[in-house]
Amino acid sequence: MGALQASFTSFTNKHGLGVACFIGLTVFFWVVFLIVLPQLAMVDFSFRYNLPQSQIGGANDVYTLDNYAYFFQGNDGTINTLDIGILVKTLVAALIVTLIDIAICYPIAFILAHSATGVAARLMVIGLIVPFWVNEILRAFAFRVLFGATGLVNGIGMNMGLWDVPIDFIRADVALYSGLVYAYILLMIFPIFNAVEALDRNQIEAARDMGASWWRVHWRVVLPIAKPGIASGATMVFMLTAGALAAPQILGGPSNLWFTQLIYQWFNQSANWQRGSAYAVILLLVCIGFVMMMMRVFKVSIGEIGR
Amino acid sequence: MNKQTGGGPLAVGYSLLFFAFLFGPLIIMVVTAFNSSSFPRITPWECFTTEWFGVLFGNSRLMGGLLNSVVIGFGVVCIAVPVGLAGALALSELGPRLRATLYTVLITPILVPGVVLGISTIVFWGAVGRGVGAGYDSLFFNGMFLTLAGQVTFVSAYAMLVFMARLQRFDPTLTEAALDLGATPGQAFRKILLPFLAPAIGSAAFLTLLASFENYNTTVFTIMSQSTFTTALASKVRLGTDPSLSALAVIIIGITLIGAMVNEAQTRRKDMLRSGRAAQSRVYGNPVLSVLVHPLSVFFLLIAIVGFLSWQGSQQDAGVCKQQILDGKRARQEELLEAQRERMKAQKAAEEATKPTVSTQPASPSAFGGAFNSLAPKAEPAPAESANPSPFGGAFNNLTPTTDD
Amino acid sequence: MTTKDIVLDHVSIRFGSFTAVDNAHLTIKGGEFFSFLGPSGCGKTTLLRCVSGFTDPTEGMVTIGGKDMRGVGPNKRPTALIFQNLALFPLMSVADNIAFPLEVRGIGKKERRKKADELLDMIALPGVGEKKVHELSGGQKQRVAIARALAVEPDILLLDEPLSALDLKLRHHMRTELRAIQQRVGLTFIYITHDQGEALTMSDRIAVMNQGVVEQIGDPEAIYNRPKTAFVASFVGESNSFSGKVSSQSGKEVLLETPVGPLRGIAAGGRTYKPGDECYLFVRPEQMTIANGVQPDNSFTAQALKEEFEGNARHLFLNSQGVDLRLSRINLGAKTDDLSGSVITAGFSADQAIVLPHGPLAGT
Repeated sequence: MGALQASFTSFTNKHGLGVACFIGLTVFFWVVFLIVLPQLAMVDFSFRYNLPQSQIGGANDVYTLDNYAYFFQGNDGTINTLDIGILVKTLVAALIVTLIDIAICYPIAFILAHSATGVAARLMVIGLIVPFWVNEILRAFAFRVLFGATGLVNGIGMNMGLWDVPIDFIRADVALYSGLVYAYILLMIFPIFNAVEALDRNQIEAARDMGASWWRVHWRVVLPIAKPGIASGATMVFMLTAGALAAPQILGGPSNLWFTQLIYQWFNQSANWQRGSAYAVILLLVCIGFVMMMMRVFKVSIGEIGR
Repeated sequence: MNKQTGGGPLAVGYSLLFFAFLFGPLIIMVVTAFNSSSFPRITPWECFTTEWFGVLFGNSRLMGGLLNSVVIGFGVVCIAVPVGLAGALALSELGPRLRATLYTVLITPILVPGVVLGISTIVFWGAVGRGVGAGYDSLFFNGMFLTLAGQVTFVSAYAMLVFMARLQRFDPTLTEAALDLGATPGQAFRKILLPFLAPAIGSAAFLTLLASFENYNTTVFTIMSQSTFTTALASKVRLGTDPSLSALAVIIIGITLIGAMVNEAQTRRKDMLRSGRAAQSRVYGNPVLSVLVHPLSVFFLLIAIVGFLSWQGSQQDAGVCKQQILDGKRARQEELLEAQRERMKAQKAAEEATKPTVSTQPASPSAFGGAFNSLAPKAEPAPAESANPSPFGGAFNNLTPTTDD
Repeated sequence: MTTKDIVLDHVSIRFGSFTAVDNAHLTIKGGEFFSFLGPSGCGKTTLLRCVSGFTDPTEGMVTIGGKDMRGVGPNKRPTALIFQNLALFPLMSVADNIAFPLEVRGIGKKERRKKADELLDMIALPGVGEKKVHELSGGQKQRVAIARALAVEPDILLLDEPLSALDLKLRHHMRTELRAIQQRVGLTFIYITHDQGEALTMSDRIAVMNQGVVEQIGDPEAIYNRPKTAFVASFVGESNSFSGKVSSQSGKEVLLETPVGPLRGIAAGGRTYKPGDECYLFVRPEQMTIANGVQPDNSFTAQALKEEFEGNARHLFLNSQGVDLRLSRINLGAKTDDLSGSVITAGFSADQAIVLPHGPLAGT
């Protein structure tokens, strides 16, 4: 509290009382009413029964672990392999998408930071940003056009006689994975770019001069510098992929649900908000756990994320 | 390209491949907007048409969603930009430990899945609503309000990041100098820090508007029974597609490109003027060319081109071509039907010949209904999308959750 | 003309457990050009920020013209600070920069314009008012910053190493210019620098600081010729130092046992030493001579390592019993032999050598 008061005084001295009050009240409102309380409300909600309107707040409105028990055991006490499976599949898929993104973005980030110059670099930056001004739904739609049964890929493939029955890229999740990889490219490139840019070009040239192979230069000189950027980008891509909803809804195969779709169904089709909240809490915890693990493994702090 | 640090044919080749991946899907989608085929595709090419733009503007749900999106976007910009600014200023002034804690709290809305944000928002405000005894028609259950609240939560964090980046380049001695020269703290803020932040306010506003407009994951929960442009779009895409969405993509990409070009003209001009090389430059030194590359003239030039193209497009009539295609299809269908009849006959004959053989239906690529759809002539009631879901339309509808109650 | 004295009354400034300024106690007279001289990190900037009102003293107090300045913000003090990086407002024109102090006092546009033009004339930069700050050269920015500070009509101008970003020639020119401006406007200047040349040429009085402590206050000559601590002796100007133990003292003359043998010097400030006291003996390079038959008070043999020619002088670098020394000879135009590599006998007169108690030396 003392520290808060000291900062408030320093604000007042520096920017004036009005500005200090504006900052204090606004940040307070944001933190309390938009961030903390809603999360707490959701957690509270996830421990309640799905009651009709009239009984809310009544004698039956008590806390329960039911919603969580359902995730693990289903109704009949056996292990809920379906839902757990979907969660695991979502996480594994998100991990794969993240790894693919690292693999394709690292070279581009490096080229952008150290090889491209002048006009080429500017064009590259514009070329990177412009596609992401297009609506996320439309970007997913583009992949449907590309990978649909009568889409371009099938059309070309069949015309060239590579295969004669349309391949169902949707069911095989090819479309989904491509769409997700595409969707978060930007979030991977820029953190890596920011990190790699700090590298002094002379270091690369010196290493080359001493006879190191390209492979070695990257492994020993560039990658250590890029690591925080990669960790930051990977964290964001993973979180967003695991939490993606639009792309799986549009590009997902009929038998492959994303965990967020499960949550969506609890809310919109089964009208069981409580269980949906419980599933949301589970997703949140798993994702936070994963990010903490990442930060521990790669030794980066949360302060470096989002830069 | 700088050879010494890895620019070479390999790097160029990889970059080209990468940008092909980035732009390929968009270009293909854009092209499909002008194909008269009722399913968005390039092959087979039927007729050049602009009718899908008409279909797009005729879609009342999308247009209604657009209005909602604009209202929400405006509200989000008005709230999220000041909130983000406050957050960035707070972080710039706090001691290291408090700063780290606050940063973690303020950055989480970006990292938390949008779905979770949406849910927590409706649950929280619903609880508040019930707490004060408000009914379901009150603010706390209003989709627009909830969407505003949900989006502001994380969009503010984007704005904050923009302001933080700008603040990092602020020289705090400027504020001190202003104070030392007799300005009150408020005056120093208004006359020194705020003008410095002005460009960031612009980009933060743009970013927040885009983020609000594009958002799906949070909005799909908070909008309740209403819809925004993006949620309407998503449900349309999920339920079946036609090239009017491609037409939409054409419009959005067009706006984007115009924006990018005008912005580029603006930055180049600024760079030139700042560096003071404008007079020597061939383009900026020439009075005619210099006016021509002014961002405003670039803007109006592009608008004029777009206007001309749309007028041309609206004059275009694909009727004749479409009739031809239709006729062609009819003929093809006739042929197919004929062939089928022939086959049936032959089959019947064969069945009669060998009674125990089970009859086999002619194989129809039912799993790939889309392929079949396109063969059906338009004039006839085409197999409805819902009845014969395109192979990827039903991912969501087909599966009902494993409910227990 | 102002006669407001600034009194630092036992001022200490601490940040956590770090002491930036330790018990500074001094008076700066109105109209004086006063410099704080010290290496970076010695606390001189902190002290200046304390006078200008950005930092409060942890202990003690600052009074200006007899008025306690506690709780008076920087915008209310009769001081104007010129920042190290000048802190000109990049988004404003030169005239707007200069007129800023008037603008925040609610003075009308016309009058602001007039005052800005006056000040631009004063700094000999008429007609640049419409330019942007980044269009000015380093020296011009410097003068604009001074004009802006003068627009406040302060009693005291505080300058925080304002010349450090300039190149050598301009720096020398600006020294003269600053001194001239100060004499013209008659304000109190408090000048912070780590450059002894600046401090010695411009100041009426200098305070030498090290590690938060004011080591010595005096006019430039006293600081250079009569240092009171080992730090001042080693920091201001070039000095050769010999560490040793006192063997005896007779009157002012002290006999010191050093690695190069017994040396004689004068006890600074009339101190008396007991035999066995750890002391330094300092002698300037230009006071050292090569003993050619004439025996000075002190002499010893030394190896000449190399010789450097610096135009006005030749510097001979010596080593004697592990002590590195420097001997400077004024260049009078006559050809002298290059002595590097030879063994010579060096010496100096006892009058020119100062003996000071042990203490921290300036980093070399």
